[in-house]
Amino acid sequence: MTKFLLAVHVLAAIIAIGPVTVAASMFPAVARRAASGSPRELTVLRTLHRICRVYAMVGIVVPVFGLATASSLGVLGDAWLIVSMALTACAAAVLVLLVLPRQEGLLGGLSKEPAEHDARTPARLAMYTGMFNLLWAAVTVLMIVRPGSTTGA
Amino acid sequence: MGSRRMLRIAAAVEAGSLAVLLLNLLTAHWEPVSSVTGPVHGCAYLFVVVLAFRGDRRAATRIASLVPGIGGLLVLRTVGPRARRPAEPTSCPIPPSEP
Repeated sequence: MTKFLLAVHVLAAIIAIGPVTVAASMFPAVARRAASGSPRELTVLRTLHRICRVYAMVGIVVPVFGLATASSLGVLGDAWLIVSMALTACAAAVLVLLVLPRQEGLLGGLSKEPAEHDARTPARLAMYTGMFNLLWAAVTVLMIVRPGSTTGA
Repeated sequence: MGSRRMLRIAAAVEAGSLAVLLLNLLTAHWEPVSSVTGPVHGCAYLFVVVLAFRGDRRAATRIASLVPGIGGLLVLRTVGPRARRPAEPTSCPIPPSEP
């Protein structure tokens, strides 16, 4: 059963977190282009935001099945797992509290007639998106290296 | 997919998976069934909570979504059937014919 749970956990991580990373990373650059008044870029921007929002929700599957895998492996108390759970919580908080609301705000401002836009907002958003990407990349590395673990390579 | 349809699916999975878990506990108590249905139920529960918090600002809906097992069904009840069909015209506006 552990194998099945782990397979769902990894698949969900690839399918859900991958698109969020790509779409969120593209968002600030497209926002800058949309600010220069291209309606096509605004449509792209809306799609990118939708991808981030929807797949962030699908991402709920990742920690839930991760916890189930860990409990069936009996490693819930391991230090590497506790650290990666804390980092995952940070990444989720950055995404839900900093990235998504700012994307929404930017999109709202650019959708208005005339468009409201602060040139610093995309830069700040890019920084938060980078923070999110870095956090979850760190978690992925921790999951592979598992420092201090005795269960395989 | 609309938010309401997602909520309906999540609510069904939430209640259905809990029923499977309880039934399994009372009868065969087959280990693999618990370890697969458990996380599925957890996901459905969280989906319902997120959808309810995102879709509705009323406290009643949000608290209802937190109820374990039947939260999704309660949210569907509180939101009510009015959102089910987005303002469909029921009758054709035919101008009254002159005699």
